[in-house]
Amino acid sequence: METLITILESTLRVSTPLIFAALGGLLSERAGVVNIALEGFMSIGAFAGVAIALFISGSSNGSMIGVSSYLGFFLAGVAGAVFASFYALMVIKFRADQIVSGTAMNMLALGLIPFLNKIWYSSTGNTPSLEMSSRLVLLPTVLAVVLTFILQWWLKKTPSGLWWEFAGEKPEALEASGVSVRAVRWVGVLMSGFLAGLGGATLSMCLSSSYSRGMVAGRGFMALAALIFGGWRPIPVTLACLLFGLVEALQIRLQGVIAFGTEPVPVQFIQMIPYVATMVILAIQISKKRQAPRSLGLPF
Amino acid sequence: MEHFSSKNLPNLTQNPFRPQLRLKLAVLASFTLLLAITSYANAALKVGIVFDRGGKDDKSFNASAYKGVLEAEKQLKIELKYVEAQDDNAFESLLRAFAKKKFDLIIGVGMSQAEAIKKVAPQFPEAHFAIVDAEVAAPNVRSLLFEEHEGSYLVGAIAALTSKTGKVGFIGGVDCPLIRRFELGYKEGAKKANPKVEISSNFVGVTSEAWNNPPKAKELAIAQYQSGVDVIFAAAGASGSGLFDAAEEKKKFAIGVDSNQNWVKPGLILTSMLKRVDEAVFLTCKDAVEGHFTPGIVRYGLPNNGVGYALDENNKKVLTADVIKKVEALKSDIIAKKIVVSDFYTIKK
Amino acid sequence: MADGEIKLNSSPPRSHRSRYSVSLKIQALLRSIVSVVVGLSLGLLVTAVAGENPIRVLGILAKGSFGSVYDFSMTLFYSAPLVLSGLSVAMAFQCGLFNIGAEGQLTASALAAAAAGIAWKQSFGLNLGWVGQSTGVLFCLFAGFLAGAFVGWIPGILKAKRQSHEVINTIMLNFIVTSFTSWVALYWLKNPDSQNPETAEISRALFFAPAAWAGGAPLSYALLLAPIAVFVVWWVIFRTRLGFEIRAVGANPDAARAGGISVERTQIIAMTLAGAIAASVGVIEVLGNSAKFKVGFSPGFGFTGIAVALLGRNHPVGVLASGLLFGALHKGSGDLDFETENVTRDLAQILQALVILSVCAEGLWRWIKWKR
Repeated sequence: METLITILESTLRVSTPLIFAALGGLLSERAGVVNIALEGFMSIGAFAGVAIALFISGSSNGSMIGVSSYLGFFLAGVAGAVFASFYALMVIKFRADQIVSGTAMNMLALGLIPFLNKIWYSSTGNTPSLEMSSRLVLLPTVLAVVLTFILQWWLKKTPSGLWWEFAGEKPEALEASGVSVRAVRWVGVLMSGFLAGLGGATLSMCLSSSYSRGMVAGRGFMALAALIFGGWRPIPVTLACLLFGLVEALQIRLQGVIAFGTEPVPVQFIQMIPYVATMVILAIQISKKRQAPRSLGLPF
Repeated sequence: MEHFSSKNLPNLTQNPFRPQLRLKLAVLASFTLLLAITSYANAALKVGIVFDRGGKDDKSFNASAYKGVLEAEKQLKIELKYVEAQDDNAFESLLRAFAKKKFDLIIGVGMSQAEAIKKVAPQFPEAHFAIVDAEVAAPNVRSLLFEEHEGSYLVGAIAALTSKTGKVGFIGGVDCPLIRRFELGYKEGAKKANPKVEISSNFVGVTSEAWNNPPKAKELAIAQYQSGVDVIFAAAGASGSGLFDAAEEKKKFAIGVDSNQNWVKPGLILTSMLKRVDEAVFLTCKDAVEGHFTPGIVRYGLPNNGVGYALDENNKKVLTADVIKKVEALKSDIIAKKIVVSDFYTIKK
Repeated sequence: MADGEIKLNSSPPRSHRSRYSVSLKIQALLRSIVSVVVGLSLGLLVTAVAGENPIRVLGILAKGSFGSVYDFSMTLFYSAPLVLSGLSVAMAFQCGLFNIGAEGQLTASALAAAAAGIAWKQSFGLNLGWVGQSTGVLFCLFAGFLAGAFVGWIPGILKAKRQSHEVINTIMLNFIVTSFTSWVALYWLKNPDSQNPETAEISRALFFAPAAWAGGAPLSYALLLAPIAVFVVWWVIFRTRLGFEIRAVGANPDAARAGGISVERTQIIAMTLAGAIAASVGVIEVLGNSAKFKVGFSPGFGFTGIAVALLGRNHPVGVLASGLLFGALHKGSGDLDFETENVTRDLAQILQALVILSVCAEGLWRWIKWKR
């Protein structure tokens, strides 16, 4: 029983960054804008969160250390949104190809962060660490779960939520009814930047205590996978993220287990399990296949 | 645009050799001459160092090397230039660039650079090279090798002797021979101190990002702590900070690696398995400065304090005198060859 | 539209070669070149933030990529794998599929080629006449292509038969292949002469030594595979029926199906071909660079290939050009660590990103024109 609880704890912890990023992606993609750039947004958030928290606690000589983490967390989201605004500008205003621009944003983040890291902290590897008191523990996970339910309700039951549905499926109809599709898409992309930024900050401020180079390690793409898996609906998407987290948590505990004979299963095979599981589940998923929003990827 | 207004530009209509200007030029010229003379006289040794992936701030392996060259810069007045490589092919370019710029001593940190050094060193016979953790046989290359397994043996014993649950843990970066070497020594030391000890062992990942993945290491550590382990030794480069976070949160012990990491979380870091890369690098610089650089292999092990366990104010409260006494006894036995620690590099499967 | 299919702005159909359309093409090319220049300039200006002189940085980049025979050879050396993975991604994109799996495909191929080379050594020893050598090289090539094609085939068939999104499957396969090849390299084919995580060496007779004129760079004739692949891919996509079907499915799967093309079969073939093309990177690495499989040898070629393909607009010639640009930036930026205090080789990423953004900000031109 105790193991079950620890696995559950671990699952929640590990899934939280994914949930934030996936929900952000959802807001963007439901409105019709493909978001390949979640990885970049997460990285920016992860870096910004630590940098801001360090700055606040450093310049106030430690007096604002408690607040610094919350401020850092929130502002990390803002940083993500600011970064995302360039993406929004490119694909909504200038109608650039969304996949290309998204890939470019990822690369930009990948290059910008070590660049800034070198200028500010004189290293391209890691930032300095946060004090334990200025790390986050439960807040991100709670926020993520609450957010899921809020989004599920909002998208289905409120007029503004329905705008999202239309912006992605039938933008002409939405425009005709007087709501600017572009505005909706802008908000969607900015929110995706904000939430993915929060997801990244969770990674560096809650699951770790500093930003290390490349720490996002493909989670932005895993979030995208969860988004597709969950059919672009908030609760299924979050469940998909939890599934990924669960498999990851199990995999950690399975390392070293003895399956056949006397030698333990090679660690590389254990590490493969989450990925194989994803492919298998995806492949055997039968009906209830959700369509992508019809206008996904098409500029308006 | 104020800066470029005409009153700020030099007046080019006047005679450039008017008196005040001439005086200034004279001062500048003599200063330059003096500088040239002194620099020629000192001809400081130019040392270049190429760090492994993880960079100089990994707090362990590369950080140790960095500490060594910094010390050399301070004490021996070398001229230091460091670079970090991001991929394997870059090693050769960087080492070659140092050599082309006539650097006197070029240090490659990490076994991944062995091939690059093998290729570059023969092409620049006047330059001296050094490589950490690998063996390159060339007349201008010094190979700095460490007996990590012996140091790991000692911290394994420390872990087993300190553990109250009889369960200790190991977290490696990547499953590769070098880390297996750490692991094997650790396991043997633990079993020697407590034959009934249980050892959990995990790896952070399979690619080089595993050296830089603290969240994953933290999850692995938490899992181990929750299964009853109360001391974990991490040989995972920068990912080790994840272990320290977990130790701090769960109030259990961790053991650092390569550099003395006791200061990171005072009181919770039982000890650190020291790999004196800093010492090795400093001595190599010293030899080069004093003109007696020798190629070949230099082994750093227990007898010359090349590896060992760290003891300072940060951990003296938790490392009891009793444990120290037992470990010192083991150390003497190894030095006297009464105990032979298995070396993963040399055992045949 | 099938599940989650991501629509790309496909290029306009090939009109007949009137003067009008040719001048349009020249205009497009000029626009691209201007965009590249704009992107690079913006990136160089960024270095001013770090306290460096942008002109000086440009000089370092140029010298580092073209300044000497060695530098230029290294640029070519880096460009070849980039062009090849770009071609792989481009091939998949022509069919409307997103191949993020080039990294896994090239890794699998490298291991297979190395394994083949080791097996050849064990079976035939080291004394081979040129017949033995050629057959050996072909054997390694075959093994590599087979492995890469297989890793490309999996997401292809899953997409065709189960509508599983190839984005997810290719990403998953990257991780799976990395783990699996690591294990094989460490436990089955381990190098007895070294403690690095790598396989034993292949037969030296099969290895393409660096060209003597390359100034010391590991540039060997094995890299000729890159321009050959450019030609082959161009020919397949634009001169064969299969290529036509691939493009048709990529442009509009429903219309293609209505026209009698088997969408599923075409998708499978496209992904398999993409895998085989990416496999060339692995083959070049083993036969032309390290003579073995090293765990983690690729600095993300498969991912940079995505950017290369997109900048080259998925056209083989475009991919060749953008691959060279990226290779030059990769090589040139290596010297930045050396020559500057605050700018490191990560600037290459920033430059590449800004170039891509400039090129796809075509809407900006229209917007500016419209505003006037």
